[in-house]
Formats: sequence, C-alpha cells, structure tokens
Amino acid sequence: MGPGNDPRTNGGGVTADGAGLEPWEVFRQEKEGDPMRHGGSVMAPDAELAVHYAREMYGRRQESVRLWVVRRADIHDLDDSDLLQPPLDRSFKKPGGYVMRDKLATARERSGQTKPKARSK
Amino acid sequence: MSATGEVLLPATRNALSLLLLAMADDELVIGFSDSEWTGIAPILEEDVAISSLAQDELGHAQALYRLLAELLVDGRDADAIAYDRPPEGYYHARLLDHHRGDWADTIVRRYLYDTADSVRLEALANSSWEPLAELVAKIRREERYHLMHAGAWFERLASTPGEPRARLLDALERMSADAGTVLTELPTELALEMAGIVDAPSRELEARWRTSLAPVFARLDLPRLPPTRDVATARTSHSDAFRELHAGFTSVRRIDPEATW
Repeated sequence: MGPGNDPRTNGGGVTADGAGLEPWEVFRQEKEGDPMRHGGSVMAPDAELAVHYAREMYGRRQESVRLWVVRRADIHDLDDSDLLQPPLDRSFKKPGGYVMRDKLATARERSGQTKPKARSK
Repeated sequence: MSATGEVLLPATRNALSLLLLAMADDELVIGFSDSEWTGIAPILEEDVAISSLAQDELGHAQALYRLLAELLVDGRDADAIAYDRPPEGYYHARLLDHHRGDWADTIVRRYLYDTADSVRLEALANSSWEPLAELVAKIRREERYHLMHAGAWFERLASTPGEPRARLLDALERMSADAGTVLTELPTELALEMAGIVDAPSRELEARWRTSLAPVFARLDLPRLPPTRDVATARTSHSDAFRELHAGFTSVRRIDPEATW
C-alpha cells in the first residue's frame, strides 16, 4: 500500500489527533431506493457526536434521507495492486472477453439460418 | 390566513400576543447568543453545528413574529417587531440574559432552555388556535435534534472529571436560579387556558419540567435546581449583557430600517 495514497488518511491531512478527535466516513442516500454513496468525512470524538456532525454536514439542507456513519479506523482497506491489478492478461474473466459475433455468424451459416431481423418497434 | 385573529376575544388575543412575543423573543435571543460561536468554536464540525442550531432558532423566531404580526395588525411586520424595540421592550426569559460565556455556559443555557421549551411546545401541540398548533408541530420536529445535541454535550461535560465538569458546575451555579424563568407564569395566561390555547398553566408546566430533569441531575450527581429567583421580573429588567447583544443584532437594521434585502 503506497503511504499517502490511502484516501482514509488523505482527507485534507486529517488523522486521529491529540484532542481525541478521529475521522468518521459519511455515506448518504439521496432518496429512498438510491445506493448509499460516500459523501465525505467529519472529525468527532465518538459515534454520538459523529452522527450529529454528519447530520449537520450532509443532512441539514434536506439533501439526504439516510446517513451511515463509520469510524474510519473500522474500514478494512485493500489497495494491493498484486491482488487488484494483476499484471497478466485476465481478459478471459471479463464478459467482454468473449466476442460472440463471429462465432454466431459461423454457427448460423452452418445451420442455414439467417440473421434474425431487428425487433420492430 | 386572513382571519388569523378575528375569531378571538380581545382578552384572548392580548394574552396570545404576549405568549407569542415571549416565545419569539426567547428564540431570537438564544439564537443570536449562540450565533456568536460562528467562526470561533473549538472544532469546525461543532462550529457548523452550533451555527446551524442558532439559525434554526432565528427561523423559529421569524415564524412566531410573523404569526404575531398577523395577530396584531398594527402596521409592523415580523422584522419591525423583532428589531425596532429598545432593549427594555424585549420579553425573553432571564435565563437568556446571561453573557454568552464559555462553552459550558452555552451548553447549560441551551440544555435548560431546550428542555423547558420542549415542555412548553408540548403544551401547545393541541392548541385550539390552529395557526399556532400547526407551527408548533413543525418547530417540535426541529427541536428534537436541538435537545439531542444539548443533551449529548450536557452529559459529556457533567461526566468528564476535571475542567469540563468544573466549568459545567460554575455555569450551572450562575444560571440555575434563572432556569425556571422560561416557564414563569405570564400575567395574562388565564385567558389562554380558558380558550384552550395551552393545555395547562405555567405552574404545572414548570412542575413537569422540573420532574423530568430531576432523574438526570441525580444520575449526573448535579445539585438540584433552586426555585426561580425574582419571579416578578422573570421577563423584564434585562441585563447589560443583553443590552450589548441587542446593540449588536440591531446594528445593521438601524442603519436603514427601510432597506430591502
């Protein structure tokens, strides 16, 4: 893990400090059914005030219907490039790795079928 | 709401005006006191939080002054009522007359005020005067959060030995004899009770409030709140601290009361 590249310790240089404050990550849902998205972080001494401050920073303008507040230290970080960006070709693990068009055309030719027309609207 | 006050008897209307003025002035004064933390709170997050609370209170004051303006129909709008009176003309509780002080003063004032205010709002929730019942329903939803915020800080200062608790005790000593002034009887309140505008006399509300605080104070090992001092001037004869605050919050308005923003 490259030091300094971890977004959890790179939020404007905020880290747990001597005043007993530590960073909390805030996720917000904009409307019912939406995914929770990362909104940003707040500094707070504990969960109770972290939730208050998250409410003030990410909810006081009625921009959220739900907040999740997570202690940054409780997040398990994985950014190991050996695990996430392996150097060898892994295109066969992607659905896009299989090009079906030519295979389909060959199969059709063999069975004497024609390509189905595009569905009319 | 053109018929805001038309259905009311004159005595009821007078009493209602006084109640609205008391509530609006309370919210205005605590709002401006707390807004003095903007930019100087110990951490950014708390700066935003207390400033946002202060804004909420000014918003509540504005809504109450608007109701009052509709009721009085004396040519003054909400801003004129809020800003164009001399300090002696204000009718807020003496609890809010203390200097902003340190963070413990602010928290003690907020906690004592918010707990008393929530009892007052509860007593107005089923008010026979619908415009007030409707407004109170909205205000109560915001005050829930204010109460959580003040409670969280009150508890942590009280239960953190050393300087935090010492400062909290000092602040309590300064303010506790004025705490009850938020719920001190209004001279005209009998008319409010008779008209079903409030559900109980202030005496009863104050008792409810003291009963609700007693277990919290006992748990935190804090001295019991004394009876209210000088009840007769609970909402009159204000302090120099308030006169200074008043000079500040009316200063822009006084430059040009007719200015449009």
